[in-house]
Amino acid sequence: MSDSHDLLVIGGGPAGLAAATEAAATGLEVALVDERPTLGGQIFKQPGPGFRVRDPRALGRDFLRGRQLIEAAEASGARLLLSTSAVAVRGGEVVLVADGERARTVTARRVVVAPGAHDRPVAFPGWTLPGVVTAGAAQSLVKTQRVVPGERIVFAGSGPLALAFPAQLHHFGANVVLALEAGRRPGVADLLRLAAAGTGNLSLLRDAAGYRLELARGRVPLRYARIVVRAEGDGKVEEIVHATVDAGWRVVPGTEERIDADTLCVGYGFLPSVELLRLAGCELGYDEDLGGAVVVVDEWMRTTVPGISAAGDGTGVAGSFVAIDEGRLAALGVAVDLEALAPEAARRRAAPMRARLRRKEAFRRALRPLHAVGGGVYDLAAPDTVICRCEEVTRSELDAAIDSSPDIDVIKSFTRVGMGLCQGKTCQRQIAGMVAHRHGLSPAAVALPTPRAPVRPVALAAIADDAVEDLGLFVRE
Amino acid sequence: VSDVRLAAEQVRGPLPSETDVAIVGGGLAGTALAYYLACEGVDVVVLERSELNREASGTNAGSFHFQIAIHQLTARETAGSYARLLSDVRLLLRAAELWGTLETELDGELGLHATGGLMVAETPAELQILHDKHEIEAEAGLETHVLEGAELRRFAPYLAEDLLGATYCPAEGHANPFLAAPLFARRAVDGGAVVRTGVEVTAVEPGFLLTTTAGPLRARRVVDAAGAWADDVAALSGVTLPIRREGLHVNVTEPRQKVLEPLVQHIGRRLTLKQAANGTFIIGGGWPARREERPARYSTIWQSAAGNAAVAVRVMPGLADVRVVRMWTGVMAFTDDLQPVVGEVESLPGYFICIATTGFTLGPMIAKMLAANMARGEALPPEYAPDRKGTRWTATT
Repeated sequence: MSDSHDLLVIGGGPAGLAAATEAAATGLEVALVDERPTLGGQIFKQPGPGFRVRDPRALGRDFLRGRQLIEAAEASGARLLLSTSAVAVRGGEVVLVADGERARTVTARRVVVAPGAHDRPVAFPGWTLPGVVTAGAAQSLVKTQRVVPGERIVFAGSGPLALAFPAQLHHFGANVVLALEAGRRPGVADLLRLAAAGTGNLSLLRDAAGYRLELARGRVPLRYARIVVRAEGDGKVEEIVHATVDAGWRVVPGTEERIDADTLCVGYGFLPSVELLRLAGCELGYDEDLGGAVVVVDEWMRTTVPGISAAGDGTGVAGSFVAIDEGRLAALGVAVDLEALAPEAARRRAAPMRARLRRKEAFRRALRPLHAVGGGVYDLAAPDTVICRCEEVTRSELDAAIDSSPDIDVIKSFTRVGMGLCQGKTCQRQIAGMVAHRHGLSPAAVALPTPRAPVRPVALAAIADDAVEDLGLFVRE
Repeated sequence: VSDVRLAAEQVRGPLPSETDVAIVGGGLAGTALAYYLACEGVDVVVLERSELNREASGTNAGSFHFQIAIHQLTARETAGSYARLLSDVRLLLRAAELWGTLETELDGELGLHATGGLMVAETPAELQILHDKHEIEAEAGLETHVLEGAELRRFAPYLAEDLLGATYCPAEGHANPFLAAPLFARRAVDGGAVVRTGVEVTAVEPGFLLTTTAGPLRARRVVDAAGAWADDVAALSGVTLPIRREGLHVNVTEPRQKVLEPLVQHIGRRLTLKQAANGTFIIGGGWPARREERPARYSTIWQSAAGNAAVAVRVMPGLADVRVVRMWTGVMAFTDDLQPVVGEVESLPGYFICIATTGFTLGPMIAKMLAANMARGEALPPEYAPDRKGTRWTATT
C-alpha cells in the first residue's frame, strides 16, 4: 500500500465512515483505518466472527443504518484498513500499527480524526468487582456475541442512554430488575421544552417513548434521582446499594436501599476519546454536557492544527446522527481545501447537514437540565476505593497527593495514577473532578496530564526499526 | 510517602521581604541545597516558577550510572581525557556514598536499590573499550568485572546469546526520582527554609534585588539552580552560561514478571534499560526528543522510539512482545565538557551556580559541596568553577 494519501480517516464509526464516503465521492484518494476487525464503531458494532445475519431487519433500525453506512464506504473506493491502530500523530504524519505487523508512518495531506467515545467511569465502593460492567461493554457483548452479561441486572446511569439501554437489554431477553437514573424525573416543563425542540427530532422522541413502553411492558422499575452508592459481594457482585441524590448528585442520607443482583451495568454517559487529538496539539475546549474536554473545530470541522479535522463523538458526545453529518462536513471541508470541490458546491451540499445539526443541538440543550452530571459522582468513592485500576491507587492515596498540588502531572508522579496500561483513560476524569473539588477550581480549569504516544500499547518489536541511525544526542561538532 | 510531601498551602504563601540566600529553581539541586543550607543555619528561600521537581530532576529514570559510559567517551575533548574520566568516576563514587546515607538522614523513603549494572558490548572493538575502561575504573576505586562468553550467559541469561561481553558494576542502582527532591524540600522547610512554587524570577538587580511574579525579594546571595534553564536565569544577571538543554526519549512498557535485576547499558549504542520494582521496563539511553516551548513538555520523536526499541530488543530479545504503554521525555541540563558547574561567579560576587550536568546522581552531592562552601568557606573543586577556562566552557559577564 502507498504510504501517502490525500485523506486519512482515523476511525470507522459513523463519523469516519461518512467522512470517507463523502470525500471519496469528490475524487480524493482516501484511506480509512480502524483498530477493530469490523467497521461500524461502537454504535454500529457488527456481530463477531462466526455469526451470520439472516434477517438484518430483525436486528433493528440501528443495525440497518449501520449496514448502509458500511456498505456505502465499501463501495466508495476508499481503502479500508481494519485491525489497524493509529498510535501517534504529528501534523500529516501518522504512525499506524496493524495487528501483528511493524509500525509504519504514513503521510496524508489531510487527516480526519473520528475516534469516538468511551464510557465515563464513576468510581464507587465495589466498582471494580467482577459483575460490574459499563454500558459500552455490555452493548458490545450483546452486539457482537448476542449474550447478556448476567441473570439479575441492575442498570444505573444517566442521560438518554439510561432509558434506552435497559430497554434494549430487556428487548434482548435480559432480566433487568431495576433501572436507576441519577437525574430527576422529567416534569411538565421539561416535556414542553423537549416538545418545542422536537421539530425534526421526532424519531428521537419516538425512540424515547418506545423505550419507556418496553420498560413498562417488562415491569422494569425505572427510578429517578437514584444513584448506586456501592456494589457488594464476595469476589463478585451480589448486592447493590442505591440511594436518592439531590440536584448535584449528592447522596441524601438515610435513603439507602438494597437489591440482589449479579450484574451492575453502569452508564453515566461517554467521554470523547481525545487522546490522538491532544497528541496532535489540537486546542481543546470544555463542555461538561459533551463529555468534558472537547476539541475546538471550525464550521468545516477543522481543528486548530493545520491539516487535521475531527468529527463525531470524539469532538463531543452527541450521538450517531450528529456524527454522520459532522463526518460529511469534515470531508467537504477537506475537499474544498484540496480543491476537489468548489466552495459553492460544498456550501450547497452542507446546507441540509447544518440544518439537521442545528435541530439536534436545540434538542440537546433542551435535554441538558435533566442529565447534567452532578459533582456528587466524584464523592462516592470511599478512602480504600481503588480509583486507578491499572496502578491500584486508592482514593486516600490520591487525596494525599492532591493535597500537595493541583497539577495532575505532579499527582501522577507521586502516586503513579494514570501511568498503567490504560494511560489514564479510565481514571483521568475522576481525578480531575477530585482536584477541582479539593482546590476549589472548576473542572474546566484542571489541566489534563501531558499527552503521550502511543495511544494504544504497542509491542517493542513492532516499534523497533534497525534502520534508524544513532540520532546523536550528545555528540556535537 | 504521603507524610513527607509539602502541602500546597506550605508552598503558596507570601514571599518574605529578604533572605540571605535566594535559590532559583526547585529541582533536586535547588531543594537539596536549601536543605543543606538550612542545616547550616543559613536563611534561605527557594523560588520555583512551576512545581517542584517537574523538569530534569523529576523526568529521568533515577538510575545511578557509575561506569564510564558512551557519552563520556564521545565528548569532544582536546586533551587529558584519562585524567577527566578518573576524576569523573571518583566524584560519582562520592555521590554514591552520599545517596547511601540519605534515607536515614532525611528520614524518608527514596526507593534506593543497589541492583548492580551491566554495560554490554557487541563488537570486538567495543569489548576492548570495556577492558580499557575497567582499568580506569579500577584505578579510581570502582569495582567492575568484565564478563565474557559462557560466564556472561550464566550471569545474565536474559541477554542476547551473541553479545561478546559486559562489565558488571555491583554498586550501580537507582532511586525514585519522584521522591528525592520533594523529600529534600520537605526537610528544608522543616529546617526553616522557605519554598515557594509558582513564583518566577523576572529580573535580578545587583545587590541583590529579585523581581518575582510574587513581588520583590532582597537577597544577600543568589544561587542559580535552574538546571536546563540555568542560562536564562544567569542572563538576568548578565552572566553567560554555556548550558544546553536536550530532550531525552524514554519508552515505558507494561509490567511483566521481574526477570531483570541490574541496569543494562551499551558501550557502543544508545541504551539504558532497567526493570522497575513494579515490573515495567524503562528504556532510554540518549535518544533525542523534540524541543517545544514551555510550558509544553518536549515531544516525542517516533524515530527515537524506533531506534531505542531496536537496540533494546537486540540486547534483550525477550522484550520483543512486551508492549510500550507510554513514551515520555525528560529534559537535561548539559554542558559540553560534561562537568558540573558549582561555585561563585568570579566577576559577580555573591552569585553562585549549582548545576549537575547530566546528573540525577550528582545533584545532592554538588548541593552539599556548595552549601559547605557558602556556609563555611570550604573549597570547591576548581574544575567545576563557573569561570573555569576550558575549550568547551566559558562563562562570561
